[in-house]
Amino acid sequence: MLLVVTYSRAARGTLRNVCRTHEEVVVRRFGRVALLAETEFAAFQALRLREKHGGDVQIERTRPFNEFEAVDASVREAAAAYEKREEGALPYTAFAAERDHPDPEQMRETEL
Amino acid sequence: MTEEGVLRLELGDDGDEDGDGERTVDLRGHDIGPKTVVAAIRAASRDAAASGNRPIAVDCPTPGPVHEHVGLVTPSTNVRVRTALAAAARSRGGEAPQDEELADVRERVADLTVPAPPDLQAPRERLAGTDDAVERIRERVAALRGRVQAGREADRDVSELEADLAEATRELAERETERAAAREALERAERLARESRDARERRRRLEDRRANLERRARAHLVGRIREEYEAALAAVPGGPERAGERSESAEGASGDAARRVDDPLVADGVCAALAVGRVAALRAPVVVACDRFETPTAAATWLGAPVVRV
Repeated sequence: MLLVVTYSRAARGTLRNVCRTHEEVVVRRFGRVALLAETEFAAFQALRLREKHGGDVQIERTRPFNEFEAVDASVREAAAAYEKREEGALPYTAFAAERDHPDPEQMRETEL
Repeated sequence: MTEEGVLRLELGDDGDEDGDGERTVDLRGHDIGPKTVVAAIRAASRDAAASGNRPIAVDCPTPGPVHEHVGLVTPSTNVRVRTALAAAARSRGGEAPQDEELADVRERVADLTVPAPPDLQAPRERLAGTDDAVERIRERVAALRGRVQAGREADRDVSELEADLAEATRELAERETERAAAREALERAERLARESRDARERRRRLEDRRANLERRARAHLVGRIREEYEAALAAVPGGPERAGERSESAEGASGDAARRVDDPLVADGVCAALAVGRVAALRAPVVVACDRFETPTAAATWLGAPVVRV
């Protein structure tokens, strides 16, 4: 999808108008941010917005997140196990060390 | 009044509110449009002397912000009532509890510098297609390698193929270097863009806060003056009907958009402009280009302001 982020009141106003006029291209809008469909028309609208507001508009392209492709099983399992922990106040670092889950520092350094 | 073809007016400096004759000028019959007159009034403070290309010069007190809203009343006048009323309240020295914070936020917005966004388009364009280029040449290298291998096994002369392979391998290295450089350039530009966006985000937040404070200050000021405004609106000559008297309004006077008023704050047009003008403290002349008053003097008395009738 296309992620459109606006950084000024004027750009946010135009984004709102574009989203109202072309509902079909909007996957979701959150205030000054919108997710647009992955179509040429959506890209056209996003480019118009950037043409008008320049640096106040950021356009990024997202891709679907599939945890079975993006990360090892150990990361998925760690997330599930940590959310099921009994001791609510236990920080993840300690939790991971006790039970042999991935180390947070190492995860920070590993790109998807 | 006329001097070198320029009409010179002196208006409304005595500050008394009795609406005597000296506070009005009737320009009907002169070929001067209302916009020209109001421009001359607003220019008076800025460059009284620089009237060279104006057919009229007006010597009068400096118009305040409320004059921007109701200083010119024509049949097609439109007024943003809340904004105009807030300006009217200010013209009488009204203040809002938000003023101090508002001044502070305005100052911070003015002081904020936002770095210009870097050029992202050129590095994006440079990077586009480099993947394909690397892929294409890589496939060519693999194919040539296969043919060299096969030729050697078949004992053929492969010197020419080897030369092609060497050339392709060199080109592959070049393409990969170019792709890496293009990626790095784009990453660098994106880091700069992030800084610029951080600053823009700070500015946007401040501007949101400023707008919010302005809204609240306006609401406060409007609240203070609203009853007076409603009374003025009801007293506008040829003015809008009250909600209850609406049935009789069918054949009312000239065509106001705001003849029927349920919410006085959405009333627009001449009535709203005149009512705001009545509650405002206007020192500079109001240019009246509508038929609501018998005489310019009546208009000046009603508005409590100097009047130029055109």
